[in-house]
Amino acid sequence: NLMGARLAGSHVDTQEPKTNPLVSLSDEPETLYKRLSILVKGHDKAVLDSYEYFAVLAAKELGISIEKVEKPPKTIERFTLLKSVHIYKKHRVQYEMRTHYMCLELKYLTSSTAAVYLEYVQRNLPEGVAMEVKKTKIERIPEHIKKPVWDTLPQVEEAEVKS
Amino acid sequence: MTYEQAHPPHYIAHRKGWLSLHTGNLHGEAGAAERAVEDSFLRRFMYGTFPGLLADEVVLKRRGNLLVICALLSRALPPSKIYFLVGYTETLLSHFYKCPVRLELQTVPARVVYKYL
Repeated sequence: NLMGARLAGSHVDTQEPKTNPLVSLSDEPETLYKRLSILVKGHDKAVLDSYEYFAVLAAKELGISIEKVEKPPKTIERFTLLKSVHIYKKHRVQYEMRTHYMCLELKYLTSSTAAVYLEYVQRNLPEGVAMEVKKTKIERIPEHIKKPVWDTLPQVEEAEVKS
Repeated sequence: MTYEQAHPPHYIAHRKGWLSLHTGNLHGEAGAAERAVEDSFLRRFMYGTFPGLLADEVVLKRRGNLLVICALLSRALPPSKIYFLVGYTETLLSHFYKCPVRLELQTVPARVVYKYL
């Protein structure tokens, strides 16, 4: 009875439900991704290591299961140039550019989760680091493939056997 | 000598960092030559707009479309003039390169000396 007296004067029913303008709801089924593969390339290994820690932490906080984190070997692009402007062919200078890689694979995501995670992770991409994303979609098997073709055409076979 | 001048180029990625950070030189990425031309123009522009104020080399960072210019200045000019120069460089460069340009400055009382010869 005390609860009823307290709620009688309050405006609990008259308030409308608050809708966040940034959140959009749609009825169409979400596309599912079997695997989301993120390959990050950079010149500095320390930067890539810290970025890996950040991306793994973000995935864990959002509840995304991580399949594996692998570090493919680095590629070194070297070229040899002449040291001097005019002659002295025997004296050269060598330059190289090292690219380190880090591959992060996440499994079983929905399209909205993938969009949120990718946007967060890409906004915080450090300078001098490039990223490539590959998504593997899961789709339903189309209707016309489900049954083999030779099971659906018995009449044509019988006519051929007769003739 | 400053830290930048004291270390010869073979110490890059060992004891020294990079002055300009972009993805043009990575394996399989394009646009290295354009970035190099932009970098040289930006360094000459900064050297000219802040006459005698630059304490060390200008560091350029590119995050997506954003271009961040980090510079160390000495405290020779009053802050009002420095604010005007900052606004002038940001608007001019963003109109010139069609990308947002941000200037991050730090003032230093004197040149940061790493080694005396």
